[in-house]
Amino acid sequence: MSDTFRNRLMLAVALVLAAIYLFPLYWMYITALKTGSAMFATPPKFWPSEPQWSIYAFVWESRNMARYLWNSLVIAFGSVALIAVLGVGCAYVLARYRNVWVDIGLFLILMLQVLPASLMVTPIFVGFSQVGLLDTPRLAVILAIAAKSMPFFVVLVRATFMSVPMELEEAALVDGNSRIGAFFNIVLPLARNGILVSAILIFMQAFGEFVYSKSMIQAVELQPASVGLNTFMGPNTNEWNNIMAYATIYVTPILAAFILLQRRIVSGLTSGALK
Amino acid sequence: MKRILSSITDGRGFDIGLVSLPLAFLFVLSGLPLVYNVVMSFQEVDMFSLGSFSRPFVGFKNYIDLFAQPETWPILLNTAIFVTASIAGQFLIGFGLALFFWVNFPGASWLRGLFLVSWVMPGLVVGAIWNWILSGDFGVLNFLLRETGVISGNIFWRSDPNYSLWAVIIANIWLGTSFNMILLSVGLSGIPKDLYEAAELDGANAFQRFWTITLPMMRSTIGAIVALGLIFTLQQFDLFAAITSGGPNNTSNVTQYWAWDLSFRQYDFAKGATISVIMIVFVMFASVVYVRSTRHEVRG
Repeated sequence: MSDTFRNRLMLAVALVLAAIYLFPLYWMYITALKTGSAMFATPPKFWPSEPQWSIYAFVWESRNMARYLWNSLVIAFGSVALIAVLGVGCAYVLARYRNVWVDIGLFLILMLQVLPASLMVTPIFVGFSQVGLLDTPRLAVILAIAAKSMPFFVVLVRATFMSVPMELEEAALVDGNSRIGAFFNIVLPLARNGILVSAILIFMQAFGEFVYSKSMIQAVELQPASVGLNTFMGPNTNEWNNIMAYATIYVTPILAAFILLQRRIVSGLTSGALK
Repeated sequence: MKRILSSITDGRGFDIGLVSLPLAFLFVLSGLPLVYNVVMSFQEVDMFSLGSFSRPFVGFKNYIDLFAQPETWPILLNTAIFVTASIAGQFLIGFGLALFFWVNFPGASWLRGLFLVSWVMPGLVVGAIWNWILSGDFGVLNFLLRETGVISGNIFWRSDPNYSLWAVIIANIWLGTSFNMILLSVGLSGIPKDLYEAAELDGANAFQRFWTITLPMMRSTIGAIVALGLIFTLQQFDLFAAITSGGPNNTSNVTQYWAWDLSFRQYDFAKGATISVIMIVFVMFASVVYVRSTRHEVRG
């Protein structure tokens, strides 16, 4: 068996496996384009005979998606900004030193990373309602997401800082930089890529966040797209083509960003979660 | 004053400042809620006392009431089934795929990364898609199973009490497989190739090589991944909200959904907090296992 033949065979099998795995995604795109009757046809059509392209504009208008997506963006950007401002410094210090305090800090952060949001939402909700934070529900959700996701961000960014050689920073200090100067001029630019990738991962998580938003945001005008999708899916719905069109509009930007940045995201993720 | 200022720009104060602000933030928004959760589980909380801090303490009443409820043990059992089946499925399929993609061929790493789309999608969208795929009369999964002769009549995945939990498990396995696979791939690529060459010279067949080299070398990775799987499965909420809402009649309910349901659907915040406390203690155990198995990385 020659090498090229073996490679082609493996590639073919890999493509089949990927196709099977990604079938749910394909089914979402196809269902969105089907007519009401084609959707419930038996046997189901695996290729839409008369694609309904107008469905996207229809769902966008009728479900008020612009408002939902705007709220999702506000929440995601707010969380990422807060996490990045607080988390980068923390990760830097945890990467730079090696002593008992750093170990304790890391341990606490790893423990906080695992708390399920659906279990933490009860005390957070009651506490927030007592201090009046629920009057600004999107801010409340941003704070809750930041507390939930920051540990993960710190772990990922710390791995990036570990790969920045400390000698470069020491050289900058010898050249007369202050600690602040060395941090902003030398260390941050070198770690920029890793920080960006981690921020993108956090952004994707926050963009799809559901538990906190569902529990804390009562006003429809302030709810993000995940809650909107949940309201759309009533118990006995049969508008599956519209729901899938909604889902398509919601996830396609995320999928596009992921495919473009795939290599960096995968390597950033694996370096932080596990060595 | 000047000394403190210069310490902040140029000394130890700089590091302490950088690290203390985020830790204070985490303390206020994660630490305090944790404590508050425990406090609430010993209190009587209703809609009227929600806004005040002084609520009557009732000792272990919430815990006793909770375990006196008829649905508690079935839901705990559901949680155990959900966690075990999800982890087993994700791990086995993920390991199989990781072993397959370990054989190097052009495009392998790109295709492997593509699988991770399931992980970056919002959980609710994944739930919506699977809700539609698993639909009883018109679901494509039932169609494929019928055509291949596995089943003769349609399975009503979401409304049949015997299958509702498995509907969520199937979706959760799909969601988590890619993450398992990526992490297992990282572990596999860390095994030195010459071990296999030596074993081959000694006449070990593929199965023996897998059993005596791959598995032992992967032990710490596998430990970490199973612990991570436990943590992620216990965090899974969106799929329940999108597929079955815990129904019918709690047959697909699990603790992490039930805690939310008690607090935000039935407004029984004390019970919600009580379940949360029990589950959080459990999750903490899992995370200790995880932290221990990645300790060599943490210490660097």
